[in-house]
Amino acid sequence: MFLKADNTVILAAAGSRKTESIVEAALAVTSGRVLITTFTSENQRQIVNRIEQKVGALPPHISVCGWFSLLIQQCSKPYQRALTTEPLVISGLNFKGKRNRHTPKSSIHYFLDANGAMYRDGVSDFVVQLNKATRGAVVRRLERVYTHIFIDEVQDLVGYDLDVLDLLISSSIRLVMVGDPRQHTFSTNIGPRNKKYQGIGLADWFQNRSAICTIEQRNYSYRSNQAICDFADAIYPDFQRTASIDVPLTGHDGVFQVEAGSVSAYVAKHGPVTALRYDKDAWTADLRAMNIGVAKGSTFDRVLIFPTVPMLKYIEDGEHAALKSPEKLYVAVTRARFSAAFVVPKFLPPAQLSLFSGSGNSPRLIRS
Amino acid sequence: MIRKVCIRNYRRFRKFDIELQPGINVLVGCNGSGKSTLIEAIDLALTGRVHGRFLAQGVSPYLINLEATRDYFQQLRESGASNPQPPKMIIDVFLDDEDAEILRGTNNLDNEDACGVRIQAQLSGEFHTEYQNFLKSPGSTVLAPTEYYNVEWLGFSGNPVNARSVPTSTTVIDPTMIRLQAGVDYHLQQILTRCLDPKERVELSRQYRGVREEFSERESVKAINKRLSDEDGTLTDRKLSLAIDISQRYAWESGLAAHLDDLPLHLAGQGDQNALKTLLAIGQRADGAEIVLIEEPENHLSFSYLRKLIKSIEDRCASKQLIVATHSTFVLNKLGLQSLLLLSENGATRIVDLPPDTVDYFKKLSGFDTLRLVLSKGAILVEGPSDELVVQRGYLDAKGRLPIDDGIDVISVGLSHKRFLELAIRLKRRVWVVTDNDGKTVQEKEVQFAEYLLHDCVSLHTGKDPKFNTLEPQIVEVNSVATLNEVLGTSCGSKEELCKVMHDDKTAAALAIFTSEKSIKMPEYIQDVFKG
Repeated sequence: MFLKADNTVILAAAGSRKTESIVEAALAVTSGRVLITTFTSENQRQIVNRIEQKVGALPPHISVCGWFSLLIQQCSKPYQRALTTEPLVISGLNFKGKRNRHTPKSSIHYFLDANGAMYRDGVSDFVVQLNKATRGAVVRRLERVYTHIFIDEVQDLVGYDLDVLDLLISSSIRLVMVGDPRQHTFSTNIGPRNKKYQGIGLADWFQNRSAICTIEQRNYSYRSNQAICDFADAIYPDFQRTASIDVPLTGHDGVFQVEAGSVSAYVAKHGPVTALRYDKDAWTADLRAMNIGVAKGSTFDRVLIFPTVPMLKYIEDGEHAALKSPEKLYVAVTRARFSAAFVVPKFLPPAQLSLFSGSGNSPRLIRS
Repeated sequence: MIRKVCIRNYRRFRKFDIELQPGINVLVGCNGSGKSTLIEAIDLALTGRVHGRFLAQGVSPYLINLEATRDYFQQLRESGASNPQPPKMIIDVFLDDEDAEILRGTNNLDNEDACGVRIQAQLSGEFHTEYQNFLKSPGSTVLAPTEYYNVEWLGFSGNPVNARSVPTSTTVIDPTMIRLQAGVDYHLQQILTRCLDPKERVELSRQYRGVREEFSERESVKAINKRLSDEDGTLTDRKLSLAIDISQRYAWESGLAAHLDDLPLHLAGQGDQNALKTLLAIGQRADGAEIVLIEEPENHLSFSYLRKLIKSIEDRCASKQLIVATHSTFVLNKLGLQSLLLLSENGATRIVDLPPDTVDYFKKLSGFDTLRLVLSKGAILVEGPSDELVVQRGYLDAKGRLPIDDGIDVISVGLSHKRFLELAIRLKRRVWVVTDNDGKTVQEKEVQFAEYLLHDCVSLHTGKDPKFNTLEPQIVEVNSVATLNEVLGTSCGSKEELCKVMHDDKTAAALAIFTSEKSIKMPEYIQDVFKG
């Protein structure tokens, strides 16, 4: 009845207007039923906001929902009794709880807690099992309900999520995925499944499916100037280099270092700046700061980054092995349009700046 | 459209399943067979409301099947330990509709992969403690403990639905619906709201607001408001004034009254009101899947008015699914016997494969009382009113009561025996066909009815002697001249003369036989009817 549809994944650099392109592509679909999904509620809100800004209100043929809502409401609940026996058992999501380690997978309590809420780690696994148990009814239902599914921040999907992606890729639904493997700051779940395809490994996963899923690369940034792009590219040397497009100069452009003692002077001179920190325990010189993970998807003119010890070490000697979470550093730097400044205990000697040697317009870590 | 409805423990339905067809469905059944309850249940599942109120706001214990409730209390009192569950009410409505795919799943009573909506009410986990206390001393309660219930309105997908996410629009037209207030009453309001498109509604709202603003700008109104605000300080420091209330969402709905020939609708006759509501409802714009539920459209309507109304229903409902409950044979015949659904306690009987020419026949000759056949336990089909009277008297003499007391109806069908038989064999209704032999032998008559006589439920009764071609000579043959003279009040000298008198005024003769104190002997073929 249904033909297999084209699928596309767009692997794109920070600032290449990923979410924007999803919103535009979704709005361009005039006949059909469109779902836009993404993991974080913050990003869902952004998507809805952008659509409202463009066309006033969410058009009736477009719906926006979270990845877990899609998995639970549209995949697990409808045919749950194929695994739960009784209808209407599944109540929702148990995001924090964990199943008892000794529960065998054959037991429904592997997936559901005592209140019928699904353990976060088992949701996509359940969907895959359910689709098997119903001989594909789960996917057939999605095919009836949606003609197009758009997935933003696809790099957040891990483990059995990828098996669900495989089901969607081979369905008649037109699937468009957008993401940046370098910005893998969240995971929908933790589990050993598909571990090697997490983060930058996701690019390989798509590469293995290039026959049924067109891969598009977007190696440009409308957001950050070239100096910032180069600094960010250096974090992931295996990826293609990013070109900055049309970012104006302001007189204070690039990547800088700021001594801890002169933070307030820097802010006074170049403010307003957005302070970014690793987590709530980080020292931020009494500035109100935002967690790097939360900042993903946002754009700021200038950012002031309070780096972790490994980040500092990387900045000092360019040792990639030291970076425990390169994605955080990548996300932090690429939030900025004009300037990204690192707060350092004391100035790094100029010799170490070679780390940032790039093409032509060489980025430099500059004294403030 | 609605394909199927499954009900558990709702009102009179403990377990009730019914399949509906696209287009017109005519529900018939005796009083108390659940026609209105079915309409109410469908409306409840599709709108979340019962009697204009959201079920979620409170479940009346009377909505829960009383028999199931009784069983629950019996179990509770007999075996306190086994912890019986109070009855769970479920209404599942299966929909066939492209827009309903989001409601697809197997969370329904039949474990079927289908689109649909469920409303259910059951004991809530939230009230566990309160319910346990209730169990300790249920006292003499006989009603379901619905104060501990919660209501869920769900798609078969297992996800909650709301009025906007149910893709079908439902309209119930109930002539007995009480008017809540003057003006556009709630019931009419709903119908009107669906009848008007959103632009028209906004325009009405805007114009109404304009009138209100004009009103307060009039000199005399301003003067009054000025005087009111000048009476300072007695009650409040704030300014008091009078204006037309437009605070409600659609102010015009309560402020505007529907008029029929310039007469406010609520002052028009019941018949006009109902007809108008029905016409408004079925005349809605044709977007979306629409379902119109009509309760007894014949109420308060004269025959000619009913004809017009049924005509409009037929003309306008081509794209809609129509579910009509009726006690009127006319409505049934006109809307078509192929749409008939006979309700009984456990479900519904539908007639399948009724020949189209028979359906058309009753549409054209809609005076025939098909509904009597449908609702009876059995029927004696006779040719005319005189046969009807004689057969009834014979039954009374043989059994000591009239056939209707046994649920058996005697129906005059003229020469339409075969049309009624088409219906009867499909309903598996016991039917005795009493017919004149018209000068033919019994064998010849049997050939004429051969295809129906194959069915056990049909038997043929006709005079054995071809010489006596109708009922009258058959009666004359088996009774003495004296007996018949006494019963008929005549003084005929011969059987020939009696035959002529009876033949000349069949009905008068039959009436005399029916009312006479003295019984006559019935011809053998009629007596056979009473033996079965």
